[in-house]
Amino acid sequence: MSAPTHLEGHLPADHPLSPRRQYRDLPLIGRSLANYPVKDLWETDFARLPGPLARQRRRARAFAEQHLVPVADELDLAAHLPAGECHPAALEVLREAGRQGWLSYFLPRPLGSMPWRALPYPPIWQCSLIVEEFSRACGGLMLLLSAHHLGAMPLLLSGNVRNILRHLGPVYRSCERGDPHLVAFAITEPGAGSDVEEGEGAARAHPGVVATSTTGGWLLNGRKCFISGGDLARTATVFAALEGEGMESWTCFYVDCAAPGFRVARTELKMGMRASGAAELEFTDLFVPHDRVIGGLRRGWAINRATLNASRIPVAAMGVGFARAATETALDFAKRYTLGGRALIHYQDVQLHLATMVAETRAIRSLVWQEARGAWQPRQLNASMCKFHATDRAQVVCEMAMDLLADHGGLHERKVEKIFRDVRLTRIFEGTNQINRLSLMEDWQDQLLDVDQHMGV
Amino acid sequence: MIVEREDSALLLAEVDRFARERVAAATARAETPIGAAVLEQLSQEAAALGLLSTATGESGFGIWEHVDHAGAMAFNIGALTQLGRANAGVAFAWHRTALARWVAGQLALELDAASLLGTTLVSTGHYGLARTSVARWLKSAALHGDEVALLADWLDRGAHATVVVAPHAWRTLLWPVWSDGRIAWQLAHRDRLDVQPCRAQHGLDELAAFQVRDSSSTAELKRLDDAASRLIYGRTLKMDMIGLLAIAAGALVRGQELATDYAAIRTQGGKIIAGHPAVQRMLGDIEIARHHADVALASLARPIDDIDAGAVAATRVSAHALLCDAANQVVQVHGGIGYMCEAGPEKIVRDQNMLKLQAGGTREAHAFLAGWIGAFA
Ligand SMILES: Cc1cc2nc3c(=O)[nH]c(=O)nc-3n(C[C@H](O)[C@H](O)[C@H](O)COP(=O)(O)OP(=O)(O)OC[C@H]3O[C@@H](n4cnc5c(N)ncnc54)[C@H](O)[C@@H]3O)c2cc1C
Repeated sequence: MSAPTHLEGHLPADHPLSPRRQYRDLPLIGRSLANYPVKDLWETDFARLPGPLARQRRRARAFAEQHLVPVADELDLAAHLPAGECHPAALEVLREAGRQGWLSYFLPRPLGSMPWRALPYPPIWQCSLIVEEFSRACGGLMLLLSAHHLGAMPLLLSGNVRNILRHLGPVYRSCERGDPHLVAFAITEPGAGSDVEEGEGAARAHPGVVATSTTGGWLLNGRKCFISGGDLARTATVFAALEGEGMESWTCFYVDCAAPGFRVARTELKMGMRASGAAELEFTDLFVPHDRVIGGLRRGWAINRATLNASRIPVAAMGVGFARAATETALDFAKRYTLGGRALIHYQDVQLHLATMVAETRAIRSLVWQEARGAWQPRQLNASMCKFHATDRAQVVCEMAMDLLADHGGLHERKVEKIFRDVRLTRIFEGTNQINRLSLMEDWQDQLLDVDQHMGV
Repeated sequence: MIVEREDSALLLAEVDRFARERVAAATARAETPIGAAVLEQLSQEAAALGLLSTATGESGFGIWEHVDHAGAMAFNIGALTQLGRANAGVAFAWHRTALARWVAGQLALELDAASLLGTTLVSTGHYGLARTSVARWLKSAALHGDEVALLADWLDRGAHATVVVAPHAWRTLLWPVWSDGRIAWQLAHRDRLDVQPCRAQHGLDELAAFQVRDSSSTAELKRLDDAASRLIYGRTLKMDMIGLLAIAAGALVRGQELATDYAAIRTQGGKIIAGHPAVQRMLGDIEIARHHADVALASLARPIDDIDAGAVAATRVSAHALLCDAANQVVQVHGGIGYMCEAGPEKIVRDQNMLKLQAGGTREAHAFLAGWIGAFA
C-alpha cells in the first residue's frame, strides 16, 4: 500500500489551493515574510536556544534514548527491592550517566561537567532541558538522576567555595569516574510535609529531626520520609532544628550515609517513578561534624526555600517531558492503528484531539523556558507558578493520550499508562500544587496588600 | 420475577454486608492484589449468596439476572456499586461474567455450569465505539457502504486484536461479531483463540489483560434476526456501560471515605487539613462527583428497554470524567502518602482510569451520540 499523500480532510501539498508550496514562488519580500521551513517541532525549538544549551539538549536526548529507554519497562515492572539494593540495570544507568557528566553538570570543568560555553546561562535552564529529555524516556530513571542535583543544591546555594570544593568536588569526581556518589535532599518528615514547604505551617510545626550539640559537632535524631534516592545516596543534605528551638533554627547538615546512626528504615512501593526509591531515613545519634554544617547555623530555612525555588522549574520540565512522551505515543498510535481501513490520524476528531495535546505540550514548554531563561535567582512566584501549571496541564495531556488509545490505553505495552503513573507524582512533590499556588500568593503579598498600587500581571 | 424497590433494598443490605465483610476484607491490602484462588473463593461465596449464578436463565436474584423492571435494575446498580466500593477489580470480574450469562441466556447458549468465572464478555469492537455507525445501526438508520465496512472492521476479531480484561483463568469469551449486515454473537474458546497475555495493566490489579484474536474463526456464530440483533446488542451495551459506571461510583465512595478520614486526622499548617479551604475544595470536588454519579445511576434504575442508549453514553462521558478527577483529588488530599500503593488512593485512580477506558472508552462517545441523534458518519 503506497503512503497517502495527505491526511483525509486536507488538501495534498501540491494542490493549487494548498498554499505552503506556493510561498516559495512569491516575490522576494513576500517570500521572505511568508515562506517557512517545515521542520520537526522539537527541532524548531533549537532556534530559541543558545548553542551550548542546544548541544546539551541534543546530547541528553541521545543519552536517554540509548540508556534509559531500553530499561524503562524492566525497571518499572521489577519487583520492589529491599532498602539499599539497586537493580543492576539502574546501577548501570547511574554509572554511565556519571561518566557522561549527567550527575555533575551544575559546575563547569574541571569541577563539574558543564560545558564552559553554557556558563553564561542559568544552570536551571540547562537542567530543565535535560530533565525534559530524561522524563520523556523514563520518569523513574529521570528522578533517580535528578534528585541527586536537588540534594547537591544546598551545597551550591550555601555560597561557600570551601563547601563546594570540599564536598561537591569529590561527589562530582566520583560520579565522573563511573562510581556514582548520589546526594539526597531530606526535608520531609512524617509530621511535616507541606509544613516544610511553606512558612505559615513551618511556624507552627514541631520539628521531627533535632540536632543536639556535642563535642566537635552535632547529633541528629529523628526521621525523614519519602526521600528520593535516599536508599542509594552516599551523602544527604538533611535539615534539622537545633535542640529546644523551632523551625526558624533549621540548619542544613551534610550527612554521611555510611556513618553509624544512619539507617534506611524502608523504601516505598509507589504508583509510578518506580526506578527511583523513596526512602524513610532514620537517624539515631548520628554524628555530624561542625565542618559539615552547610551555610551556617539557622540558615537552613532560607537554603531550603531557595533550593525549592531552583528545583520547581525543573519539576515543571518533568511535566513537559511526560506530556511530550504521551503526545508522541498517542501520535504514533494514531498513525499506525487502523479503524475501518483508515489510520486513526485520518479522522477529524482524532486530529482535533492530537492538536490540543500538541498545543498543551508546547505551551508548557514555552512557560518553562520563559521562566528558566531568567532563573539566575529564580523567584518563588515564577517557579511555583511554572511548577503547578505545567504539571497540572501535563497530567491532562497524559489523560488525553489514554483516552485516545481507548480500550488499549490501560495496557502497559502501549506506554501511556506508565507515563500517567509517573506524571501523577509531579503534582504532589516539591510542594503539592495547592501549596505551590499559595507560594505564588505568598511571594506576591507586598503588592497585593497595597490597595492603591496598580498591579501588572 | 418482580422485585419491588423495598425488596431490592433488603437484598442490597445483604450484599453490602458481604461486600464489606468478605470482599473488602479479603482485598484490604491494596499493594498486594489477591490471586486467582482468592478470587475464585470469593466468587463461590458470592454464588452461595445468590449474587452470581452458573445458570443462564432467570433462576434467582443475582447481578444482571433481571433487567426488565425498576427494582431489579436498582438492585443490579446498587450491588455493583457496593462491590465496587469494596474492590473494583472483583466487581468488574463479576459484572462481566454475569453479563455474559445474561447474554448467553438471551441467545439460548449453554455456558459451563461448573465454572463461575470461566466466561467473560466484551461488549464492543477492537477500538472505541465505531464512531457514529453503531449508534446509527442501533437506531435502524439506513447505513451507507462506509458505515457497514466500518462496523465489519470494528467487529473483525481476526484482523484486529481485542483487548480483554478478565480473571486470569477465563476459558470462554462471548463477543459480538459482524455477520450479514448485523451483529451476531460468538462464544469463543480460549484454546482456539490467539491469546497474548499482556504485562501488568494499569489497574484492576486482581485481573489480567490479554490481546485476543480469532485467527481461525472456528467458533460457532449465533445469528439473530434484525430486530433481535439490535435489541440484544443495545441492551448489552447499556448494561455494560451502566455496570462500569456503578462500579466506578462505588470505588469513589471508598475514595471519599479515605479522603475524609485522612483529612480529619492529618495536621499541617497548624490545623487539621480539613480546615484548609484548599482541602475543602478537593473534598467538595469528590462530593460533587459522587452526587453526579448517584443522580445518574438513580436515573438508570428503570427497565432496561426504557433506558435510552444515548442517555447512558452521555452520562458515562461526564460521570467517568468527574469520577476520575475526584479520585485524583483523593490522592491529592493525602499528599505524598496518596502516591504509595499501601495507602489505597492511587489504586482507586488507576481503577477509575481502567473503568473509563473499557467498553470503547469515552472519547468516541461524542461521535456515538452524534450518530444517535441522527448525524451521518
Ligand atoms: C515519590 C515521592 C518522592 C519525594 N521525594 C522527596 C525528597 O527527595 N525529599 C524530600 O524532602 N521530600 C520528598 N517528598 C515529599 C514531598 O515533597 C511531600 O510529600 C509533599 O511536599 C507533600 O507533603 P505531605 O506528603 O506531607 O502532604 P501533606 O502536607 O500532609 O498534605 C496533605 C494535603 O493537605 C494540603 N495542605 C497541607 N498543608 C496545607 C496548608 N497549609 N494549606 C492548604 N492545604 C494544605 C496539601 O495540599 C495536601 O493536599 C517526596 C514525596 C513523594 C511522594
